[in-house]
Amino acid sequence: MSEFVSALGFGVVTAAILAISAVGFTLQFSVTNVFNLAFGSVMTISGFVAYWLNQLGLDIWLAMGVAALCGGLLSLAINELIYGPFIRHGLNLFGMVIVTISVGLIADHSLQAVVGPSFFSYNAPAGKAVNLAGFVLTRQELIIIGIAIVLTGLVQVALQRTRTGRAMRGLSVNPALARGCGVPVRRVIAIAWFVSGVLAAVGGVALFLDISTFTATTGSEFLIVIIAAAVLGGVGSPRGAILGALVVGIVTEVGAAYWNPELKDVLAFGVLIVVLLVRPQGLFSQLATERALAR
Amino acid sequence: MSAATQYYIATILVFICVDVIASWGLDIQFGVTGVLNFAYILFQAFGAYVAAVLSLGSSSANGGFQHYLVGLTLPFPLPILGAMLAGAGLAALVGLITLRRLRSDYQAMVMLVISVVATIVVTSSIGLFNGSAGLSLIPNPAFTWGSFSRQTQTWFFVGFCVACMLVVGLFMYALVYSPFGRLLRGVRENEAGIEAMGRSATRARLQVFVIGGALAALSGALLAEFIGAWAPSEWLYPETFVFFTAVIVGGRGSVSGVALGAALVGVGVQQAVQYLPIGSDPTVLAAMEWIITGLLTLAFLWVRPQGLLPERRRRLSRRTRPEMNATALEKAIGT
Repeated sequence: MSEFVSALGFGVVTAAILAISAVGFTLQFSVTNVFNLAFGSVMTISGFVAYWLNQLGLDIWLAMGVAALCGGLLSLAINELIYGPFIRHGLNLFGMVIVTISVGLIADHSLQAVVGPSFFSYNAPAGKAVNLAGFVLTRQELIIIGIAIVLTGLVQVALQRTRTGRAMRGLSVNPALARGCGVPVRRVIAIAWFVSGVLAAVGGVALFLDISTFTATTGSEFLIVIIAAAVLGGVGSPRGAILGALVVGIVTEVGAAYWNPELKDVLAFGVLIVVLLVRPQGLFSQLATERALAR
Repeated sequence: MSAATQYYIATILVFICVDVIASWGLDIQFGVTGVLNFAYILFQAFGAYVAAVLSLGSSSANGGFQHYLVGLTLPFPLPILGAMLAGAGLAALVGLITLRRLRSDYQAMVMLVISVVATIVVTSSIGLFNGSAGLSLIPNPAFTWGSFSRQTQTWFFVGFCVACMLVVGLFMYALVYSPFGRLLRGVRENEAGIEAMGRSATRARLQVFVIGGALAALSGALLAEFIGAWAPSEWLYPETFVFFTAVIVGGRGSVSGVALGAALVGVGVQQAVQYLPIGSDPTVLAAMEWIITGLLTLAFLWVRPQGLLPERRRRLSRRTRPEMNATALEKAIGT
């Protein structure tokens, strides 16, 4: 029983990290329909920004804040300088997937050429362990869970209550109509990329804290799990992404406790494939039609 | 010519044959039909594995230092044919799961996921595939051909690879110019139109999935028999991207173009990197290969999306309106 509870605790931490990243991934996708496979690279590069600041003596949570800003700007820059021009150049949805893979590979390997193949870790104490109704979590893990709740909650509220949030939802349902109603499309898309980058950076730093050692490709390797969570919830639905993150996080950690830990990701993907066979549009998405790129 | 130079040239030639065959297989799927198979490398790896276990003999041989399934010693062309059959079978299985019900953008994602899962399963199950160590001592069939020197026998194997490439090339031309090839281009350019004419786009996709799977397996089998080893770390999912780049650089749907692209991207980039003034740190060199591959893809998608040797645009006849075809094609590929 205690084994199950502690596995559940790990699962919630993994789910929190996944939720931050998956919401960022899916929010951007719902607005622009660009399946951004360079998302993991934004996570890694921001994670390394936090690492360098941390090495200079900055507290890891402050470093995470600065990295979040960098991640947002990086994500925005990638869209303004590469994706945007390619979309306006007339590339279709699948062409854009290839473009995002290229950008991801270039970014990852440029970073690798700079930092080398070695392992890195932050200089941050995990903090005292806290016992919460049977869950034993470190202070660090509790902060990560808190950040996840606050950030995903903020995104939800912003999507429902603010003008920009409504414009994003409008763009994701019907870009032409949204444009016709006077939504400043380019600005809203830019905001979506920025927010996505911020969430990627926070998710990246949280991930690196959680798994304690990382390399130049850790973010891109984790991206597959993020995609599994996002697709599970229905790509383009932030609420679905949170649920998908919970399912994937808990299934993988509980699976790791009772089965082969090396195969824990296989379980997540198994869940994903079964869900997609039963419900091809994901758990929450209503849209099952082909969608066009928002320009 | 010294033995080392000869071996170098033979290796380059075999790699070119392997990359060209594999790129053609992907071209049928991605270039001609428009199926985005991000798990493509999986079929090459599977072909290599099957060819290995069909020629290695029982796994207790050599002191049983490596574990694998089956373990037969079949005579020469059978391991390769078996690999092709197995590749086609695996492709049919994956295709049946992914191609029938899923939306096409989900299909691409699920392929990516399958490719990653396969690597995890292979590296963590030692009994099945000998884990991350992979297989070694895979016999080269040419080393049993007559009583010649190893060098001559290596050249025999090069000849065999070139012959395979030529046969696959002829097959590609026959396929692309056949009515079936027309159907495939139809699926790429106007799926609804194909369905309206009573043909099943899903069925066509499944068919190219199987054909491509067999070709990928063939290329993997040739590679494994030449280098004599098989390890899952050589077949990670980004490797698929090299073939995508080859197809894009060469020209989607163009048989000769893709062959050129495969030679340039698969082998050319790797060789060229060694002459760059960036030192000889293996990490930097490997990183540079990927960076150049990525930049090549971006550059071609921007400047010349039709590739070096573009697919020839087919027109119905001079009396129909030819501009209809050209614009429809452009719209469909998104150039």
